[in-house]
Amino acid sequence: MKVLVVDDFSTMRRIIKNLLRDLGFTNISEADDGNTALPMLKAGDFDFVVTDWNMPVMQGIDLLKAIRADEKLSHIPVLMVTAEAKKDQIIMAAQAGVNGYIVKPFTAATLSAKLEKIFQRLG
Amino acid sequence: MSKSTSTSVHVSLEQARLLVEYLETDQQNKADELIAEIQNPIQIELFEEIGKLTRQLHDSLNNFHFDARLNDLATADIPDAKERLNFVISRTEDAANKTMDVVESIFPVVSNIQQQINNVNPLWHKLMHNELEVGEFKSLCLDIDVLLKTTEKEASNIHRLMTDVLMAQDFQDLTGQVIRKVIDLVCEVEDSLINMLTAFDISSEQNQSNYVPQLGENLVEGPIVNRESRKDVVSDQDDVDDLLSSLGF
Repeated sequence: MKVLVVDDFSTMRRIIKNLLRDLGFTNISEADDGNTALPMLKAGDFDFVVTDWNMPVMQGIDLLKAIRADEKLSHIPVLMVTAEAKKDQIIMAAQAGVNGYIVKPFTAATLSAKLEKIFQRLG
Repeated sequence: MSKSTSTSVHVSLEQARLLVEYLETDQQNKADELIAEIQNPIQIELFEEIGKLTRQLHDSLNNFHFDARLNDLATADIPDAKERLNFVISRTEDAANKTMDVVESIFPVVSNIQQQINNVNPLWHKLMHNELEVGEFKSLCLDIDVLLKTTEKEASNIHRLMTDVLMAQDFQDLTGQVIRKVIDLVCEVEDSLINMLTAFDISSEQNQSNYVPQLGENLVEGPIVNRESRKDVVSDQDDVDDLLSSLGF
């Protein structure tokens, strides 16, 4: 399974990569914002996206909307891992079609539980 | 001449008689002067009022210039604060990377030891239950020998790496000091701005009660630092899950 981790902070990408690797995901790529991520998604056969919200140039919520609006990408599950904690934002992400929402700071157990739930639903 | 607070013109009987006298004796200039004199109180009030306003404006402008510290703040202190905050970013990033370097180097070592324990375990289990065959004993001894040697070597290695992780946390002291200085600066800027508002007679308390900081595009705010006093944010992951499930997720 090919995963794309999108976050503007390299340390957070590294943390998520380590946690994902622990959960058995070994094919992981990185992007530092939505603008970098989108062409990678269009070019590669990614199966899963983990993205931050607050990033320069293209925000995570806009990346999510762009993924859902693109016929070839719209099926890809998107997990948001972000410090943005306003109820309005969570509702906005849900309406935009997010598959999971984790607020930072988070634990390895939370990430594992959300991933399990997402893939369980997708069957 | 009495200073009247009223703006209406007060003509005394004496002044009226004088005016009639001037007009009857054809002294037009004197009559005009008298009229001007009667009107004077208004002008004096007007001039006084303008004078007062001018003084206020002058004082305000003076106070504004007087705060020369403002200039230092804008040209020196704030750029310095930006540099300090960048230092915090780079130090914390270095520390995080240093820590993760070490942790990532420990992961395979621990897996290796785990693997060797898994190798030893079946025969060890047999030994403990008196089921070990003589031929297997030698193999068990060799596996245990490898395990002991590896563990001994890696234990001291891990110990050294753990010390590196410990030392990587020294950023906290330095960044703490730097951030404290920046907080002092923010307080000073706040005082200066309040002084300026006061000088221009704009109350800082007027619009304070229900004010919420403005957000950027897409409502982005970053980490919430005052969760307890906020009603519009979730307090933890459970809150997020509850909210999402209430929306049918």
